[in-house]
Amino acid sequence: MVQRFLDPSVLAEISSLDLIAKTIVDGFVAGLHRSPDFGFSQEFAEYRAYSPGDDLRHVDWNVFARTERAYLKRYRGETNSLLTVLLDASNSMNYTSHRVTKMDYARYTAAALFYLAIHNQRDAAGLIVFDDEVRNYIRPSTRQGQINRLLHGLELAEPRARTDFAKPLTHFQEFLRRRGLVLMISDFYESPERIIRTVEPLRFHGNEVVLFHVLDPQEIHPRIVEPSTLVDLETSEQMEVTPEYMREEYRPKIDAHIEQLRDLARGAGMDYYLLVTDRPLDGALREYLSIRQRRN
Amino acid sequence: MGFLAPWFLIGAAAAALPVYLHLLRRHTTTPRPFSSLMFFERRTQSSIRHRRLRYLLLLSLRMLLLALLALAFANPYLKRNAAAASSDRIRLLVIDNSFSMRAGSRLADAKQKALGVLNSRRSSDRAQIAALGSELHVLTQPISDAAALRAAVGGIQPGDSRGSFAELGHAAGSLSEGSHAPVEIHLFSDMQKDDMPSTFNEMVMPAGVSLVLHPVATGTEPNWTVESVNAPGQVWDPKKAHVQAVVAGYHTGAATRSVSLLVNGKTVATQRVDVPADGRVTADFQTLDVPYGFSHCEVRIDSADTLPADDAYIFAVERSDPQHVLFVHEPADSHSALYFGAALASSAESSFTLDPIAVDRTAGVQLAKYSFVVLSDVLSLPPDFESDLERYVRGGGSVLIAVGTSAARRGRIPVLGDNIVGTHYYSQDGARFLGVGDTDSSHPSMAGADRWAGVKFYYSVAVDSPDSRVIARLTDQTPLLLDKKVGEGRVLLLASGLDDLTNDFPVHPVFVPFVKQTARYLSGTEDREGSRQVDSFLELRTAKEQAVSVEVVDPAGRRPLSLQEATTAQSYQMTSAGFYTLRLANGRQDLIGVNPDRRESNLELIPDDVLSLWQGGGNTGTSAGALAEPGQREEAASRHSVWWYAMLLVLAAALAESFLAGRYLSTEREES
Repeated sequence: MVQRFLDPSVLAEISSLDLIAKTIVDGFVAGLHRSPDFGFSQEFAEYRAYSPGDDLRHVDWNVFARTERAYLKRYRGETNSLLTVLLDASNSMNYTSHRVTKMDYARYTAAALFYLAIHNQRDAAGLIVFDDEVRNYIRPSTRQGQINRLLHGLELAEPRARTDFAKPLTHFQEFLRRRGLVLMISDFYESPERIIRTVEPLRFHGNEVVLFHVLDPQEIHPRIVEPSTLVDLETSEQMEVTPEYMREEYRPKIDAHIEQLRDLARGAGMDYYLLVTDRPLDGALREYLSIRQRRN
Repeated sequence: MGFLAPWFLIGAAAAALPVYLHLLRRHTTTPRPFSSLMFFERRTQSSIRHRRLRYLLLLSLRMLLLALLALAFANPYLKRNAAAASSDRIRLLVIDNSFSMRAGSRLADAKQKALGVLNSRRSSDRAQIAALGSELHVLTQPISDAAALRAAVGGIQPGDSRGSFAELGHAAGSLSEGSHAPVEIHLFSDMQKDDMPSTFNEMVMPAGVSLVLHPVATGTEPNWTVESVNAPGQVWDPKKAHVQAVVAGYHTGAATRSVSLLVNGKTVATQRVDVPADGRVTADFQTLDVPYGFSHCEVRIDSADTLPADDAYIFAVERSDPQHVLFVHEPADSHSALYFGAALASSAESSFTLDPIAVDRTAGVQLAKYSFVVLSDVLSLPPDFESDLERYVRGGGSVLIAVGTSAARRGRIPVLGDNIVGTHYYSQDGARFLGVGDTDSSHPSMAGADRWAGVKFYYSVAVDSPDSRVIARLTDQTPLLLDKKVGEGRVLLLASGLDDLTNDFPVHPVFVPFVKQTARYLSGTEDREGSRQVDSFLELRTAKEQAVSVEVVDPAGRRPLSLQEATTAQSYQMTSAGFYTLRLANGRQDLIGVNPDRRESNLELIPDDVLSLWQGGGNTGTSAGALAEPGQREEAASRHSVWWYAMLLVLAAALAESFLAGRYLSTEREES
């Protein structure tokens, strides 16, 4: 039943983005029973002997009273992270073969991540919306009302124009001066080398970079039964294709593209995660928590 | 090349359908938005062109398929001259050996002509020999061995069957269906008019079969014959038996003929009768003095015509003592035996003696000596007698059971075991009585009874007997007379009494023929006819499950049934004229005289114009010349149908189309 609320087509029925985010995260958290790997709460981890310079606030005074020795209580997840989501809002993100467009799926994912980061992890979260330039930037913060600002920024992010990773790159580097977690959500219709070359500098600041590759199932396994004319959503270019071409040439190409992007990303020390818009949303959240766990 | 049904070629216009589907409908697709065309290249266009070419191949196959289908339905044929076609043609030489071919030297002439046709063919040509009577007997396979063919022709013997040109037509149909090669039938016959079926179409040759007629009779010949003989099959008083013989002349002038009655080869009576021109006369022999047992009898005339074989009409007569009939009644009932006995004795041909007995005196009665038993409104039977009666019926005996007011109280019909489910006292109703409604006039008991018109029934019982044959019903649909086979025997049930209390049947005139016919039916003498026709069937046993052996001895003294057939055969066809000796499954001995169908005695020939029509009536395009001789038709063109070649091409095109279309559609299947 809980999994049902991670289904994109079910979430599409909900108009409020914060409710969507809450639904996703609550559903996701409820599905994590007895999972020791993801300690997102203030969980006790161990005692460590006090050494000069340690914060006295963490000394367990009860233990000191009994033993006259100072010990520090260590908790998991006590380190706050900085989460920045780079959201591609180019026209190609408007494509869909069912109820949920890639942009909607990206929004739900980003909203759920923000909700999880701010409410559950107490992380600072920010947003950069870009296409061929940076269209919106919300600075990462843990201030009151930050979640509302982020969700509003997501709602304003309507797809338009083309994707260009090179132009907004310089802006990314300006905005991402603090070390943190950078999640880029895009359909990555660009050559993998260029994408990695563009995104790789973000790693140099000590950021963890994750590429969330959003694709519609029809983009991976297109189904056409007769020769059709396809129109590029970004360039309006038209091309006639046959079912045979789709089967024999397109599919190997898109598979190779995904594979190459994954390999190059991992080669560059980044994580890569493929999001297909007809699948539940928990995959992105799981990936986020997994990376955060690793950082701690 | 031509077409037998050229209008089917219009169907070739359907080839335009794939053109529409492939070339016109294909371009109506609307552009579909797609995220990015970065993975598509301009060379995709060439892929489409390539695909178009392949679609054109599929289009061509589909158009070819439809065109070939139309071509096949148009039934194309190739014209070849007869000389070229004769190499694979089969000649079927049919020699008529029906009874009329015994006249003069007709059969010998037919065989001579057949040998002439065999000699005129090329040594490599295949031929087949058959004899035509009531059926077509194929004597050889299609072979080119001249010696075997001549031997088959020489071995054909005169038959006693009636010829049937309809059988020839049917056999030709079967032959043409089983052979792709053209068939040429040569018929050597006297072309007797009576051999024609009632409708000409039955003897018309099918497509692919040509007919060449070889008449062996030059004209209609006069012929006298003993057309029929009416004689009893069984005689117990020779003074009461008499024989009537009908002497007929076909295409004859008025003449006086001597008619003799022969018993066991001895002439016992002779008459001279004046036969009118082309007419018939009846000769009446007042006595039939035959010894006890079976006698071979015949009526013979002196005809001096070309067909002496039909001058005698044979029949068998059995002389025996009168048969006894056991009539069981209640002690108080004296009327029913009186009425039944009087009706039984009133028949001149009756050979029955009624033995009335009260039901309380049936102990120790030997049922085997009675030809049948009557139970007249008996309330109860002694157990021993009832079990004896059941055994008697299952062994082949027969019983007539009349259920009156007394027997109805019993609730169950003896021997049959069926229950009485109700009684109807019509005299107490407003109607007072009921008449007889539906009757089964095909049953022997109803023969000559005029549907029992005017008989009043005041009382009847309703019997639950679902597996009985209902012969008569009252007007309220109550079954009145039922017939049921029990084992080898029969039970006839009258749902009313045989006295004059429950109905007025016994005092009604139709009671006499009812009793007479029923007695003959139940005693089995109804089945016994002294004479039969050739090719008629003889019923050997009545119950299939009873594996009792029967014995048939044909006129030549042979036993035509094998051991297995003797225990299983239900009937036997008597194909030869003469006396057949039989021992049937019920143990009864019989002797039957079998005579040829007298329609064969009329030697009138089929008119020439009908023969010409028949010869040219086949659909093969052969010229309808007058009674062609062998070799006359060699120049005639023959049509060689090639529609099945077209169908083979249709099949090949369909397979290719399926393969090609399957490859295109595989994309869709893989996607799903």
